[in-house]
Amino acid sequence: MRKTAIIWQIIGLLGALLFPWYMVQGGFFSFSWVGGIFSDPKNASAFAQGLFHQKWWLITSLLPLVGTALALLFIKNTKLLAKFLVMISIAGLVLIFAQGFIVSRTGARIFADLFVGGAGEAGQVGFGAGAFVVLFSQLFILTTGFSGLGKGRGDAFIVGLIGLIVSLVGVFVFFPVSHILIQAFEGPEGNLGLAEFFDNFTSSRIWGVRCLYEANSCGTAWNSLFLAIMTGAGTTLLGLAFALIATRTNFRAKRLLRVLTIIPIITPPFVIGLALILLFGRSGMVSEFLYDHFDVEKTRWLYGFWGIYIAQLLSFTPIAFLVLIGVVEGVSPSMEEASQTLNGDRWQTFRFVSFPLMRPGLANAFLLGFIESMADFGNPLVLGGNYSVLSTEIYFSIVGAVANSGKAATLAIVLLSMTLGAFLLQRMWLGKKSYATVTGKGDSGQHASLNPLLRGFCYATTIPWAIFTVIVYSMIVFGSFVKLWGYDHSFTFAHYIRAFSINFTDGIRFTGVAWDSYFTTLTISSIAAPLTTIVGLATAYLLVRQKFVGKQVFEFSTMLSFAIPGTVIGVSYILAFNVPPIELTGTSIILILVFVFRNMPVGVRGGIAAMSQLDKSLDEASITLGANSFTTVRKIIVPLMGPAILAALTYSFVRAITSVSAVIFLVSAKHNMATSFIIGRVENGEFGIAIAYSTVLIVTMLSVILLLQFIIGKRRLRRENRIQKHTKTKVAQA
Amino acid sequence: MKTGLKLGLAFSGMLVAFPAMFFAAPALSDELNMVCSNEQDWCDLMVANFEAKTGINVAMVRKSTGETLAQVRAESSNPKIDIWWGGTGDPHLVAAQEGLTQASGVDTSELQDWAVNLSNISEGKTIGIHLGVLGVAYNTEVLAEKGLNPPACWMDLTKAEYKGEIQVANPNSSGTAYTELATIVQVFGEDEGFKILKDIGENINQYTKSGSAPSKAAGRGETTISIGFQHDMIKLAIAGFPLAIVTPCEGTGYEVGGVSIIAGAKNFDSAKKWVEYVISAEAQNHGPEVNVFNVPSNKNATIPKEAPPIASLKLIDYDFATYGSSETRERLLARWDAEVGDLN
Amino acid sequence: MSNNQITGSVRFENVVKNYGSVVALKDLTLDIVPGELVTLLGPSGCGKTTTLRLIAGLEAATGGNIFIGNDNVTHLSATYRNVSMVFQSYALFPHMSVLDNVAYGLKVSSIPKKEAYDKARDGLAMVGLKGYDERLPSELSGGQQQRVAVARAVVLEPEVLLLDEPLSNLDAKLRRQVREQIRQIQQRLSLTTVYVTHDQEEAMAVSDRIIVMKNAEIAQIGTPMDLYNTPNSKFIADFIGDANVIDCEVSAIKSGIATVEIPGAKLKILTNQTTNFNASLVIRPQNVSLEQASKKAGIKGTVTYAAYLGNQIQYTLDSAIGELFVVDNNMADMFKVGSDVDIILNEKKLVLVSK
Repeated sequence: MRKTAIIWQIIGLLGALLFPWYMVQGGFFSFSWVGGIFSDPKNASAFAQGLFHQKWWLITSLLPLVGTALALLFIKNTKLLAKFLVMISIAGLVLIFAQGFIVSRTGARIFADLFVGGAGEAGQVGFGAGAFVVLFSQLFILTTGFSGLGKGRGDAFIVGLIGLIVSLVGVFVFFPVSHILIQAFEGPEGNLGLAEFFDNFTSSRIWGVRCLYEANSCGTAWNSLFLAIMTGAGTTLLGLAFALIATRTNFRAKRLLRVLTIIPIITPPFVIGLALILLFGRSGMVSEFLYDHFDVEKTRWLYGFWGIYIAQLLSFTPIAFLVLIGVVEGVSPSMEEASQTLNGDRWQTFRFVSFPLMRPGLANAFLLGFIESMADFGNPLVLGGNYSVLSTEIYFSIVGAVANSGKAATLAIVLLSMTLGAFLLQRMWLGKKSYATVTGKGDSGQHASLNPLLRGFCYATTIPWAIFTVIVYSMIVFGSFVKLWGYDHSFTFAHYIRAFSINFTDGIRFTGVAWDSYFTTLTISSIAAPLTTIVGLATAYLLVRQKFVGKQVFEFSTMLSFAIPGTVIGVSYILAFNVPPIELTGTSIILILVFVFRNMPVGVRGGIAAMSQLDKSLDEASITLGANSFTTVRKIIVPLMGPAILAALTYSFVRAITSVSAVIFLVSAKHNMATSFIIGRVENGEFGIAIAYSTVLIVTMLSVILLLQFIIGKRRLRRENRIQKHTKTKVAQA
Repeated sequence: MKTGLKLGLAFSGMLVAFPAMFFAAPALSDELNMVCSNEQDWCDLMVANFEAKTGINVAMVRKSTGETLAQVRAESSNPKIDIWWGGTGDPHLVAAQEGLTQASGVDTSELQDWAVNLSNISEGKTIGIHLGVLGVAYNTEVLAEKGLNPPACWMDLTKAEYKGEIQVANPNSSGTAYTELATIVQVFGEDEGFKILKDIGENINQYTKSGSAPSKAAGRGETTISIGFQHDMIKLAIAGFPLAIVTPCEGTGYEVGGVSIIAGAKNFDSAKKWVEYVISAEAQNHGPEVNVFNVPSNKNATIPKEAPPIASLKLIDYDFATYGSSETRERLLARWDAEVGDLN
Repeated sequence: MSNNQITGSVRFENVVKNYGSVVALKDLTLDIVPGELVTLLGPSGCGKTTTLRLIAGLEAATGGNIFIGNDNVTHLSATYRNVSMVFQSYALFPHMSVLDNVAYGLKVSSIPKKEAYDKARDGLAMVGLKGYDERLPSELSGGQQQRVAVARAVVLEPEVLLLDEPLSNLDAKLRRQVREQIRQIQQRLSLTTVYVTHDQEEAMAVSDRIIVMKNAEIAQIGTPMDLYNTPNSKFIADFIGDANVIDCEVSAIKSGIATVEIPGAKLKILTNQTTNFNASLVIRPQNVSLEQASKKAGIKGTVTYAAYLGNQIQYTLDSAIGELFVVDNNMADMFKVGSDVDIILNEKKLVLVSK
């Protein structure tokens, strides 16, 4: 413990001495601050700021850092030292944040008497590299101290990890979200009051049930709930069918199926909706065809529940598939074989053995589908017709002609409570059963193949679905090559040329209008994806493998950012991170952060599902063999989690590229994202270039996914992934 | 083991780009941070022209007016945007009322009356840049197929033959639709106006969220008739969609696009130069190059021939001061909810 | 880790373990001396696995102290305890070859790769799996996997080796073979070993000493012989080996000899009790001999079941003192079911336990 604490102590001191405390112009890695680390009042380190530049409060808040150093030097008793470290580092963290909040850009907000004159009145800007280094060092000294007190079985890595994730979730989820939720309780004059909240909360526009007894539509909450349940169930079912086909049959076009299930997830928003309109809208191709040949009347049936439902099924089935494939693969063949030897037929084997073992996966897939549907606003916007849902209501409460952030916050609370409800139900359904199927016992059996009825069902649902997907996507590609999608279908390259032209005359110049946002998008997504995966899976590891106080609350809080509509998150990030101490608006960091913390729940869900299938004795074996928890994670858990990691990586990368609602408020001139560019074009009626851009994004993402699949590959548990062939003689098996 | 290594490689590979932007503070000087709520091409072109003329570096991002207003509000304690250019005048007026923008003090003598009017009611905080006229569009092919007569007046839209054929946005979410609501109220008087709105409502197939959506739907034949701004319709028609545009015979309302400097802008001088530039005839004359067909606010600018011929149109005397105020707006919207009402 | 063979003692001082309100161990104190193989034996839920996991450091004690060698390891994490464990499920890493599995502990302890692999190969050779280096665990039989798990634990030369029901997944024949091998390796390396099982025969076969546990407590500690011959309770008598436990009446105790009355007989039995107590009589099946029924007074019985097993004959009798299970090594003649017999008890080998 002492050694670990000393390392963090040294890092902290270096941070306070040699790194610029505040944000620096041009970025940390421009190193323009190096020369002025002591002398320049803008770029100086904390100690120098305090000593030479009148920022005396920095010295005060750094005293605890000195305190821990003294404790480490002079206290020999380990227990006592741990106690001191915990107390002093808590003081340190509190002081650093306190001074950040008290002294704003324009001077002190409270205790103004203390800060009279000079720098105190001048104010300060947001935390820079030095501040973050010191904060991290204090945090880890704190957790190391805790581990020294015997918490977390004395494992500094585990306690540190818990501390890190709790702090990150606290700062980047709770802190911003609380900013906006509090507005639900703000009266017209900014006073806090419950009356306003209850007025909004009990509005019949949210809870009305007129649809039950007359031809009106119901409240938005019921609409959202119904849609989310249908979407959750539908995507889980389709995802399961795809996963079963991919793992339990010898279907020939499996690979193609897999690609097909991936594509919708990598489709930029609005595109699916537009494609559906062109197919099934009142003047859509299918509608026209049916009208011309079968005299089916052209109607606007697509606009409303069915349109949104179909679009959401298309969009979210892949998520269910990604969650379920790992789970279905992970069900131990020997358990299926055991069932068969107990005279269970293939249907019984599936019904009573495989299916129950897939329960965590199914529950997680449903929960994700449910939440995605709740928070989705692209599809309802395009296809909603008069079927109003919470997410669009929230969006227009924020950006509409009559902005009402209180109403938006209230609606967000309604939405959140539904998500919380789904989450709790899921917990009840899963209960406390064990779902471990990857045990330390080498397992060499074969997966049971599906019984004919079930197989038939899987084919019957997936193949039409796959064909449908192919048609929708051919439409999209087609749309990018025609002059005016939906009207003038003469062939043209013009959209691609406008968006992605390259000039070779003097060197390579990317002259297309889309290049800027394209590069930004790719860079930011590639940074966000691995971070999301790491944070998500680390959280899953803590949730599945470690015991600590407040675990349930912790688990739900990680879901929070996912369950809140992106619009709300976007605005809350501006509210929270536009002013010191943490000032991030206008940077790429804020985009990365919003992606990491918005998408990490997928990593968490997938990780939990995959990890609850790993027998705990594997970790324990590693630990008793002398590996520490970090090595265990690296060498045992990570390799065995291949599919889950791949899924998390893929998904977070793709989500970062395709997400809209959160991003719209956070993009800045320097860091514009592809989706915001595409939406601008769609709003402007320039569908051609929007679709051409979307097509390029789809192709890009597809190549990245295939590359990832190639690099990470499959976990090697059994030599071959075998599926029983149903020949009459059971002898001749591969 | 091997998998772990590969994973590590994959991760570190993706992390390579990270340091390059880590802890990069937002740039604050020597440039102009702009949010543009006009059409993307118009934004791009004006930025390029302005940079060439002044040498000021413009960092521009395009966002819709609602999004921009929400962002400006959220950022008000420490604004990152200097200037907001484009979009209907309504949200600009709201921003002015809420003190989110500041007066630029530019010379408005060359501007049309309606543009100066916008400046006056906002105490100079927002200045008119163009005029957009409210209109009705119909898809000629679908109309013919259905054997319907083209509408010519607001009153025509109440006819039973158009049942389920008209689309307009919801005034609660769309400024365009609010302009329509206020126009009808101003043309017919409030009580009569709401009766007409209710009758039109019988024919509406969908109240969309966004103001430009109905015309796009009309272009594709998803609806037959749409209500919206004419410059959106003209653009679609020029793109090739079979849209015909009508200015209602009883007279129609309009919006005036605005440009505003954000309160607390870090580059006020550059922002002011931008305002001066975009209200100049020289700048406004470039519009048609990128299919911008609204009426420019500078008297000396050439009005594009595709633009609605305002001289011959019956434009009402739109009362921005009254109908732009939040009390009137809230009252009218509450009445709209109660009497006309979205279906939910 | 040093190259010297260090074997450590294990000591529990008043160790308590609770899971919430459930008591898994109440006040356990025990001492395991270096080099011995001690078995924790007991029915499921008795706390034996918890004890093992406390030694490994996989559970944290709620109270008390745990020592390995001279070090108090109560708060030391499992990683830093010089202890290896063989899991019931083997816990072989499914993604690593057999050799990588065995070398894992060595490699994470920063032993140079080559040395680690050499040692691992030696370890595999020791358990008779030479040449299986590159196989995956899934390609081995159950017994082979089990031996890999043992090799993986042993190559680390731990102070204490822990085995958690290591044989429970093997078939009967293999079990004997593997347990002998484990015992041999343990003795060759004189490894302090703690072995958890619920199978008393297995425990008897491998242990130096056995700790029988019941309801989160120690019921009795002793060598297999002690436990068998002088059980201190009805539970132990019943749990260790086969025993007929019957009610009896103690009429007097004098200088270590108790006079015991049962229907049809009066017996003199050694006891360490000094005063009369409520006792049961433990009769091992082989301490009974049967004779053709006679007119003599004594315990009379009827054969209700007889089985010829080649090296012995097993009888079940219905008698005045209750149902008796008897093993007879007199193979010459066999009583038929239904025949009446005289039951003669070997007084010297009978044990009294308190009820």
